[in-house]
Amino acid sequence: MTAARHSTGPGVLQRGRRAGSALELVLLSLLGVASILFAVGYVICLLYLLIKGAGKIASFTTYASPLAGVDNESAMRFVVAVCAFGVIAWAVLASCRAVASRYHWWTSSVDRVGVIVAVVVALGGGVIARDHLPRFLISLPSETTAGGGIGPEIFNTVYFAVLSTMITLPIGVGAAVYLARFARSPTFVAVVRIALDTLASLPSIVYGLFGFLVFVVEMKMGYSLFAGAVVLALLNLPLVVGIAEESIVAVPQELDEASLALGATPIQTTARVTLPYAWPGILSALVLSIGRVFAESAPLIMTAGTTISRASAYSLNPFRGGETLAVHLWYVNSAGLSPDRVEVSAGTAAVLVVLVGLTNLLAARLARLGGAEGTRVRKATR
Amino acid sequence: MGQSATIVDPTETVAERSQFVMGSRFGEAVVRVLLTTCGVFVVLTTVTMIGFLAHAGLRGMAMAGIGDLLTGRVWKPEADSYGGFALIVGTFTSASGALLLGAVPAVLAAVWLTEFAPPSIKVAERRVLEVASAIPSVVYGWLALVYLVPIVFSVAHWLRGADAAVTGEGLASASILLGVMVAPTVMLLSLDALSRVPRALRDASAALGASPWQTAFQVSVPYAWRGLLIAVFFGFARAAGETMAVQMVIGGARRLPKDFLFSPTTTISAQIVMDMQEARPGTLQNDVLFSMALVLLLVSVVVVLATRLLGRQRLS
Repeated sequence: MTAARHSTGPGVLQRGRRAGSALELVLLSLLGVASILFAVGYVICLLYLLIKGAGKIASFTTYASPLAGVDNESAMRFVVAVCAFGVIAWAVLASCRAVASRYHWWTSSVDRVGVIVAVVVALGGGVIARDHLPRFLISLPSETTAGGGIGPEIFNTVYFAVLSTMITLPIGVGAAVYLARFARSPTFVAVVRIALDTLASLPSIVYGLFGFLVFVVEMKMGYSLFAGAVVLALLNLPLVVGIAEESIVAVPQELDEASLALGATPIQTTARVTLPYAWPGILSALVLSIGRVFAESAPLIMTAGTTISRASAYSLNPFRGGETLAVHLWYVNSAGLSPDRVEVSAGTAAVLVVLVGLTNLLAARLARLGGAEGTRVRKATR
Repeated sequence: MGQSATIVDPTETVAERSQFVMGSRFGEAVVRVLLTTCGVFVVLTTVTMIGFLAHAGLRGMAMAGIGDLLTGRVWKPEADSYGGFALIVGTFTSASGALLLGAVPAVLAAVWLTEFAPPSIKVAERRVLEVASAIPSVVYGWLALVYLVPIVFSVAHWLRGADAAVTGEGLASASILLGVMVAPTVMLLSLDALSRVPRALRDASAALGASPWQTAFQVSVPYAWRGLLIAVFFGFARAAGETMAVQMVIGGARRLPKDFLFSPTTTISAQIVMDMQEARPGTLQNDVLFSMALVLLLVSVVVVLATRLLGRQRLS
């Protein structure tokens, strides 16, 4: 045991503490190694998954893929190709912008040309690559034979996100605005909060049972995307209301008061001052909830089913059944008989992880925009 | 753009606005009512959900008998025998295993990160965990099915003998999987809890001559214990409620495991998903599944309410 070293300031005090007994030091370094290995394990898992999945996706690129003759299939392929080329064009444009603006070459007219070029590249790439996409991404799944794809699953996953956000957005933001600004009775607010806490604590399987009972059994709708979307919207409600309310409460009181003093009504103030200011936070809540839509499987199995019907694989009708990527990943492994299910699962998991990762990145970016640094606020105060 | 185009007549705008204000008394009231409806909707949904579940679940409990349902050993819907003991044991054991293998190490790692790690490692590890906690549970389940189950299989045979009747599927795999799954979330919550420890406390402890280890475990951890407990509880609730991932590695045998760690069994949620696909609505088999869901719901509601209570006390 050494004596405490001399220290001259608080920072030094922190660093200059005596190191402790040998046993403590050994335990400490063990803990440190374990803690770092912990994170490294996750990284290795993820990288392995992505590489394996990318291998699966790429192994199908070498030949043109024939249309399966399903409605809307070519439109779906076009959209996938446009998205892929759009992301590439956007990335190139963004990096050009970053490099060129450092040397002040980047003027608004150049920017306009760049955007037009990017759009043309995306659309043109979409037209050209429509029939040469990785086959795995666009073909129909197959239960018994090798070579099944995940085209309808990708479509359903995105469609679910749209459907459930259409329900979550109005109700979630409405409830948040109500709680943060318009609620008068403290008792009722307490009741709403308890309800939200309870909703948040329910296991997702309970939502699935509820959706099954209400939509599939009582309303005799059978398995449908609509039922799944409603259940997912309810599942996301506590999350969205919570974050949206937080970001509304974080809006400075002065802004609201100024708006009210100018003669705006409370509703106008909310719609034109509070919500625009809180918008990045609300948007990040919605994006997070979309990430949960991508990831959820148990409630969907019970409300939207586990099958892809060939006739309506890309149909926009919300009253048909259909599985998402997450459900497919489970189904292929538990009930599928295809000989290549390990590879199919790897590809599916990789696509799923990339989708979820992108939504979370987006949510983090949006959240950073929130509050005083919000773009809209900067625009408004300039 | 001409200058004149951008100039706005201020009186006109104000007039327009005030007209909007005056003319929208009715609209204003409607919006208020709509907003209140959103609040009411949340409450009604919750009540309806619990009501539906309790209705079917209590009917199932009444018909099958609560005692049988909670302690009966045989779950055989074909023979109208509903003993949920194996399911409950499966859920609790796998969730407790997850706490032991995932949540406790996560809390310790969080302590190391906040108290001892260089800032760069702390930031990097936080990023990794944020990504890891967002990964869908089915992905973890599939990874476990393909890579963990064979390893557990060989470990089981190494432990129990080469010709023992043990498999890789079972509570051991499920616990490891759930541990891996809940660890990132628990760790993020623990990091948040530990970051709220005032720096003055640590400085004071160091000034009194405490070693870093003593400061960490006798000052910071006791200060943040509520937050850490909330993190662990949260991990337990998530592990107990997890469905698909567990279903993939638990084996799906509807009985108590023959070998406690290494033979197939089932959990409440996995069994609900499996049986729901063949149970006809309105039958006893269906109602009993709702009863088991009710048990699960009670567990998670109790756990979450406990964490809320802990959280509230801390704030006051």
